[in-house]
Formats: sequence, C-alpha cells, structure tokens
Amino acid sequence: MWKSKRARRREVSTLTVRLWDFTGMALLNLFVWLAALIYLSPLTYMFITSVKSGEQLSDPSAPILPARPVRYEYEGRLRYVYAVPTEEGTRELALVDTDRGGAFFVDPQNPEAGLIRWEGSWRTLRRVYTPHWEFGNFVTLWQQIEYPRLLRNTLLLVFLGEIGVLASSIAVAYGFSRFRIPGGKSLFLLLIATIMIPDSITLVPTFFLYANLLDWLRSFTSTSAIYYIPLLLPHFFGSAIYIFLLRQNFKAIPRDLDEAAMIDGASPLRILISIILPQAVPTVVTVGLLHFFNAWNEMRMASLFLGVSQERTIGFSAQAFQSYGFTPEFLQASALMLMVIPVIVLFLAQRFFMQDMVVTGMEK
Amino acid sequence: MRFNVVRRASARGSGKQAGRLSLSRHSARVGFLFILPWLIGFVLLKAIPILAALVFSFTSFNMLHPENIRFVGLQNYLAILHDRDAGSSLFGSIGYFVLAVPIEMVAALGLAALFSSDWLRGKRLLRTLFFMPSIIPAIAIYFIISGLVSPGSGWIYRLILEPLDLPPPAGLYMLFPVIFALWTIGPGFLIMLGAMQAIPREIYEAARVDGAGPLMRFFSITIPMISPAIFFSLVINMISAFGGVALLDRGLPYSQSLSPMESYIAYQMFSFLNLGYASALAWVMFLVVMGITVAIFRSARYWVHFPEEDENVEI
Repeated sequence: MWKSKRARRREVSTLTVRLWDFTGMALLNLFVWLAALIYLSPLTYMFITSVKSGEQLSDPSAPILPARPVRYEYEGRLRYVYAVPTEEGTRELALVDTDRGGAFFVDPQNPEAGLIRWEGSWRTLRRVYTPHWEFGNFVTLWQQIEYPRLLRNTLLLVFLGEIGVLASSIAVAYGFSRFRIPGGKSLFLLLIATIMIPDSITLVPTFFLYANLLDWLRSFTSTSAIYYIPLLLPHFFGSAIYIFLLRQNFKAIPRDLDEAAMIDGASPLRILISIILPQAVPTVVTVGLLHFFNAWNEMRMASLFLGVSQERTIGFSAQAFQSYGFTPEFLQASALMLMVIPVIVLFLAQRFFMQDMVVTGMEK
Repeated sequence: MRFNVVRRASARGSGKQAGRLSLSRHSARVGFLFILPWLIGFVLLKAIPILAALVFSFTSFNMLHPENIRFVGLQNYLAILHDRDAGSSLFGSIGYFVLAVPIEMVAALGLAALFSSDWLRGKRLLRTLFFMPSIIPAIAIYFIISGLVSPGSGWIYRLILEPLDLPPPAGLYMLFPVIFALWTIGPGFLIMLGAMQAIPREIYEAARVDGAGPLMRFFSITIPMISPAIFFSLVINMISAFGGVALLDRGLPYSQSLSPMESYIAYQMFSFLNLGYASALAWVMFLVVMGITVAIFRSARYWVHFPEEDENVEI
C-alpha cells in the first residue's frame, strides 16, 4: 500500500516534469524565433520601399504596402480615382475636372451617367490604390548604374585582397605560433596593440603618402587601376586581427605531426601547407569570409581615392547615389542590390563561419 | 633532423637548455622570415604614419601651401582647447562608446545564453539570422533606419504611433544609434557562443548535483568560464565604437563615422586641408582611446580568468 502510493507519486512527478519541459521548450522557441523576427523586421522596410513606385512615395496619404494609384481612362486621358464621401457613402470616382468650389467626377462603374459634381476641397480626398509590386525599379537601376561592371570591379578587388591577406596573415601567424623568435612575445603584444589603434591617427600621413604616390604614378599611366592601390596594398602585409585568430588556432594544433614531418626532412613551408593548414580549415575559411565582407563593404579608402576613378566599386557607387538625387525607391533598391551578395555568401557558408571559434585570451 | 631529436628530448625534460639554443638559432631566422610581411607593414603603415602625425601636429602644415610649413609648437593643441566643435565631438565619441558598447555586450551575452540551451530548435539558421545585420553595409542601414525613425513618414510613427493617436516624439532619432548598436552584436555573439559551447558539461552537472540553480550556474560558471571571450568582444566593440575596424567593417567613410571625433578630423582635413591641426586632433583622440584601452586591459586581471598556458606551447 505504502509502496504503491510512492510509486504513483513518482509517476505523477515525472509527468509534471515532462509537461514543464515541454512548456519551457515551446516558450523558449517561441521567444527566440519571435525575437529574430522583430530583430530583422526593419529589413522589410527596405524591401517594401524598393518595390514601390515613385508616385506612391510622393503621396503622403498612400498606403504603406506597395501599391499603385487606380486610374481610369475617360475622354482619352487617364484620371486618378479618389475615395469620395457622398450621401450614399464613400464612392470611388475618377477626377475629371476641378473648379473653385469643388470638382467633377465620373463613376468608372457607370460612365454613361455623366459628370458628378462634388462640393468641397478635392485635395483632401484620398486616392484609391491597388496592390502592385514595382519590380521594374531593379531593371531601371540595373540599366542606369552598370551593375555588372561595378560587380566585376568589386569582386576583383575582393579576390586580389583575399589572396594577399590570407597568404600574409597565415605566414605571420605560423611564424608567431611555431618559431622561437627573439622578442617574439613583445612583437606579438605590439601586433595586438595595433588592433587597438584608431584609424584616424594614421589617416593624415597615409592619405598624404598615397596622394603623392598616385600623383607620381599618374605621370606614367592613365589607367584607373592605380586608384585601387590604396585599397589593396595594406592587405599584403597581413591583418593584425586575422593573424591573432589564426595564430590562436595554429597553437591549438598538436605539434606531434609537424615534428614527425620535420624528421622526414620537410621544410617549414611544406609543414605549413601540408600539415597545419589542413587542420585549420574552419579558421582559414572564417578569416577568408571576414575579409570578403570587409572588402565588400570597404568605404574609407574607397571614398578617399575612387572619387576620380572611372572604375568604381559597388559600395562607393551606392554611397554616391544619395548625392545624385536618387528617389527613395531607387536608393533602397540600390542598397538591397549592394547587400544581397554578402548575405547570400553568409547563408551559403553558415556551416563554417565562426563555427566553434573559441577565443581564450588576447595577450597570451 | 638534429633539432627534432632535441625537441623530443626536451619534451621529456632532459637536455632542455642546450637543445633549445641550437634549435632557436635556426628557428629564429625562419620564424623571422615568416613574420616579416607584418613587420614591414607595421613600420610602413603604422609606426611611421603615427610618428609623422606627431610631427605634423606641431606644424602649420596645409595641403594648399605645403611650402609654407613651419614649426608652431603647441599652438595646434592650444587651439583644440578653444575649439568648441572639437570638444563636443570628443564627448560625442565617448558618449557613443558609453551608449553602444553596453547594449552590444548585454544583447550578445543574453542571446548566447539562450542559444546554449538544448531546447532551441533551428540553431544554425537562427545564429545566421541574428548575425546577418552585422554584415549589412552602413549605407543600407542608414537608409533603413532613417525610414523607420523619421518623425512624419517613418514606419515607427505610421505603424505604431499614428494608430495609437500619439504625436511623433522629438527623441525618435535617439533610436538610431540604439538600432545600430543592436545590429552590430554579431561577432560578439558568436565569440561568446563559441566559448559557452566549449565549457565541459561535467562542470554544470557537478554544480547541479550541489544544488546550484540556473541563475547561479550562469553567474558562477558560465560568466567566469567565458570571461576571455567577453573581454575579447568588449575590445572588439570598443574599437568599432570609436570608428575603427575590428573583425567586421561596416563601410562607413571617415566623414560619416559613428564616432563624431573621427568625422571632425576628416572634416578639418578634407574641407580645410589643415593637416597640422587634423594631426593634433588625431593625436588627442589616439591618447583618449589608448587610455580607455589601457584601463580595460588593466581591469582584465580582476575579472578575466585566462586559462593556464599549455606547457609545451610557446611563442
């Protein structure tokens, strides 16, 4: 008797625990997915604005979702349809003519009835809209801005920089992680310190240097390619933060294999390529992706040096559209076209990107 | 061949000193060659420009009349003291740092804590979704956030305030840096999440057996265990709050930097070509940022638990 009571209580309690677990799990998932939805909700503004027509954007009383005003052809001309309050309730009528005290409308449902006179200020009336997604904005933009050419320039810049930054950062990280360099510890601290240095301290002399270098190069050649030098050159000296991430990963790789290879007479470069790198693929991919995003978005050097160049990057152009007087729908469309490629790359690479990356310390 | 045998021996703990010496002579030369690219870059693109900026800051260097350059002593620095715009930009920069960094840290830490639960489904997709805004170019973010917060036609007014019959508040633009900060949590979030996933399960099990609740486990195990990752994210966020580029570049030109001091330096430089004055401003900013950096690194010894160095891994 006593025993069975206890057993029953245990049964009940596991059931409640399971119920609690289920509710907790449901609530957690609901909360996080809802948070993600709210977190990303501002993006809908961009998308929706990019498929609106200019006509809709210039009308403050227009609906928020993409739509176009309804128009009705009467006597050879297209006329806007308004929501007109009348004695029989609100009617949708096309505006034909206006005068001092009111306006003349025609009923699109029944044009034979002739003009309808309405007293009041027609400007306060709201236009009638019908849902419409203006994907033509992207086509117009594509034709206006030479998107393929901008894309080619940007990808070329990203690709060349990628080679430079990966080769140099991997080499430096290898040097710091596997060799006893006199003063190596202080040099590494110096490297960490350079991450912390604000850009503006080097801005003035660097700009002066590049401006003179470009002036000098211009006397030999007229090609626009020289304006890419300031955007590319720094990457060939390695990037401090990438070196830090790679070195940290290289240090975590056991040395047994390199030592075995050393016995077989492998050179240090050989060990790096055949032993270290295959074990560091996730970190190398992460660093490669970080550089891709950074080079794609790079604006500092681009805004200083690409202004006079014929060959621009996609980011620099998107920045310039503001000053060209682009209307909101084209600005949003251009921004969307600018960000779509990095976002696609991120989703394709989500399996590798910063996966299981563990930072254990900064100075060590 | 020879030094390899020596390494083996040193691993066993005998002949350590003699072995290391012959190893290091060869090793140092090769290692030095490998770090050479960075060293050259450091001298050419960091050390020399920083010193050049210091020299410029004591001169009346102007791009329009480079031949009229002369030494003016501390005049540029004294001018900064009387320059209201410089003062307000500097306070603006520090203000953005103080506002944005705590938001970024708390949001990223909270999100990482939620993600370390086994109950959450679709983690890989979710982490990408939460990371995604961190790679959106700044220009796109400007367009989006302006569309949300502009008082008359912005979506926050039209979708939330207007239906509730509320007037557009004047402070709506304050949401701009807040949204910007919230959309910059990506790298910090992934770094902290990575660190949390590396904590051995047994530690939590042991604490549970000892009767520690979830909150206790979070504050007494998770936070100390991931403190190096928290520290690293703090440094990353600090750098980007001051307009620098750490891990991810948002693509803000100097003139539109989030850090007002940086855009003020660019303004002095490109509108007046006043390289001497701009350099002095840059040095003031450099010293302020370095001061904050040193303070953060000093504080680390009180709250960051660095793991023990592995015996046989050294620089």
